[in-house]
Amino acid sequence: MPVSTQPPNRVIPALALSALACVWLLDFGLVQPNRIVSGTGYGLYAATGWLGAVVVSSLLAVAVGLALRPTHKRFWVLALLLITALMALPLLLEMLAQRKLPEDSAYARIGIGAGFWCLAFFLALMLLETLGQLKASRRLQLSTVLLIVAGWWFCATREGLSSLSLIREYANRADQFTQALTTHLSLSLGAVAISAVLAFGLALAMVRRERLRRPLLGLVSFMQTIPSLALFGLLIAPLGALSAAYPFLQTLGIRGIGWAPAMLALIAYSLLPMVRNTYVALMEVPEPVVDAGRGMGMNERQIFFKLKLPLALPVIIEGVRITTIQAIGLTAVAALIGAGGFGTFIFQGLGQAAMDLVLLGALPTVFLALAADAILSALKFQGASR
Amino acid sequence: MIELKGVTRRFGDAVAVDNIDLTIETGEVCVLVGSSGCGKSTTLRMINRLLPRTSGEILVDGEDINKADPEALRLNMGYAIQSTGLFPHWTVARNIGVVPDLLKWPTHKRDERVSELLTLLGLDPATDAIKYPHQLSGGQAQRVGVARALAGDPNILLMDEPFGALDAITRENLQQEMLRIQRQLSKTTVFVTHDIDEALKLATRIAVMDQGRIIQHDTPEAILRRPASAFVENLIGKGDRGLKLLALRTVGDVMERYPRPRQSDPLTEGLKETDSLRAALSVMVWQNSDQLPVLSEAGDAVGTVKREQLLQGGV
Ligand SMILES: Nc1ncnc2c1ncn2[C@@H]1O[C@H](COP(=O)(O)OP(=O)(O)OP(=O)(O)O)[C@@H](O)[C@H]1O
Ligand SMILES: [Mg+2]
Repeated sequence: MPVSTQPPNRVIPALALSALACVWLLDFGLVQPNRIVSGTGYGLYAATGWLGAVVVSSLLAVAVGLALRPTHKRFWVLALLLITALMALPLLLEMLAQRKLPEDSAYARIGIGAGFWCLAFFLALMLLETLGQLKASRRLQLSTVLLIVAGWWFCATREGLSSLSLIREYANRADQFTQALTTHLSLSLGAVAISAVLAFGLALAMVRRERLRRPLLGLVSFMQTIPSLALFGLLIAPLGALSAAYPFLQTLGIRGIGWAPAMLALIAYSLLPMVRNTYVALMEVPEPVVDAGRGMGMNERQIFFKLKLPLALPVIIEGVRITTIQAIGLTAVAALIGAGGFGTFIFQGLGQAAMDLVLLGALPTVFLALAADAILSALKFQGASR
Repeated sequence: MIELKGVTRRFGDAVAVDNIDLTIETGEVCVLVGSSGCGKSTTLRMINRLLPRTSGEILVDGEDINKADPEALRLNMGYAIQSTGLFPHWTVARNIGVVPDLLKWPTHKRDERVSELLTLLGLDPATDAIKYPHQLSGGQAQRVGVARALAGDPNILLMDEPFGALDAITRENLQQEMLRIQRQLSKTTVFVTHDIDEALKLATRIAVMDQGRIIQHDTPEAILRRPASAFVENLIGKGDRGLKLLALRTVGDVMERYPRPRQSDPLTEGLKETDSLRAALSVMVWQNSDQLPVLSEAGDAVGTVKREQLLQGGV
């Protein structure tokens, strides 16, 4: 029987050993008497007892062993192992809660330590390497991510983790959280949608009229160079004056602070990547293709909709992708001028030195950006392969 | 019939096409030949109005083309270009079907037409139809380009170096096929090339262009025998114009036919009726023989040709 021998993988052992070192040397979790006090840290053994320590250590050891074996099948086994480990990771925190949380204190909570973060980080890197070795398809990658998220979701809803500081912060603000999510999404996606329409028009104008190209590109590039905080600030005065002069604007919610200036600034920032990509994409449709289309008897409309637009679409979507990720991040900053969204939690948390509140704002922002990236990349990929 | 009367095209101050008169009869292949930048493409593109003319008149079947709707005009003129201009996001079948689609042919008629054309151009309707242009070789892409130009069954074909950028053998094959298709369909064709051999091979009449003017418009034979100027003489090459003349005729034109086909000795190398006299002479010189049998496709001897007949054929 032919046996395919393969060189041992060195990346995964290196990552696993780093994880092992971090998990044993750094604090795995904390127990805090209340949300402000930093609390006491516990190492892996102290936090999860011998069971947790043995499971984690042997998992990493097995990963090293598997990675060194000379068969290709090892990567499938590794992938399964790592996915399961990542899905179940929050259970380790549950063990900490069970063992160390004082029964009587209503304010006591557990926090996530550096050791846990490192473990999660290195496991994720190992999984990435494994999927890379398996040449995993986009679909497999996406399902992996969804599986892990589902695992965490399941863990988070369990009673055992209700004392996790992050979940405490969430439980205290469940309504605000939903509202922040809606605001964040509608602000960023709304800005992207509006600027997409604007950018499309501007790009078309530039394609039609070469003379408009320099001034328009200059304008949108200039807007991009203003620091975001400054632009948010700059918009407060004129919008404030405007709404003072026309009270009906106030009833619409247009004031110096709030969603209106945030939306305007977000649109201003979104224009450059979108205009540039759309313009370049439309201009780079090969001349012979357009010439042939016209020579075949297509009219200008048909040339645009049948040839130029479909050929330009992947690059246009790429512009939308960049813009969406950027807008989701910037919306967090817009909380500073009272626009709402997840930034509210971040800045509140910073003000109160409550790190878990910061995380409650930061983690969903990151997650939204990653989700937008995944969805739009998939769309672009489909468009390009057609 | 296409008539150009005193047609001029300027780009700014530069004159690309300078007051040319040219008549292309129905069913004829007119080849525009000349060095780079002499205005061949410009002339061609004025015929389907991809470029407006600066002055003069262009008539198709007696009608001024400016009176017609440009899209309708182009739908009746097949157009093939050197860089093929295939639509990269469409399959071969959809590319070929573009004009039938624009003409709103029913789907089944279009699909039939597409596979008919794929077969005509030596492509496989089953496997090649579903490919995308980037999956084709250069030669296949050019074939698809020609098939696309033919798809709407236009009365007129405009071809701008459709076989440019191909290796000699593929080019030769495509020229053969072009001749075969032309014998079947006899479309009024304007064909642009800067390769004089291609022009001599394909043309009913050749229009030699230089600096935006037509220097000479005549049959290949007349161009070879009586070049109008030193420029034309240079273009056709003084050294081997005798051989080029021989290349215009085929063995079928000069051979002696047998009353009925005969069995031929399978060992003797024979000629084909469609071989040019030039190729036939080459075989004779190589074999050091004075006479060779002419074989049919099936391998029977249908006649014979002598060396003197070949040489006289060129005169
Ligand atoms: N769009 C244009 N703008 C300005 N000048 C042009 C344009 N198109 C063609 N010309 C000029 O017109 C002249 C004739 O060009 P044309 O494309 O007809 O040449 P051609 O005979 O087809 O050459 P080639 O064999 O290289 O294709 C050239 O000098 C060219 O520079
Ligand atoms: Mg040209």
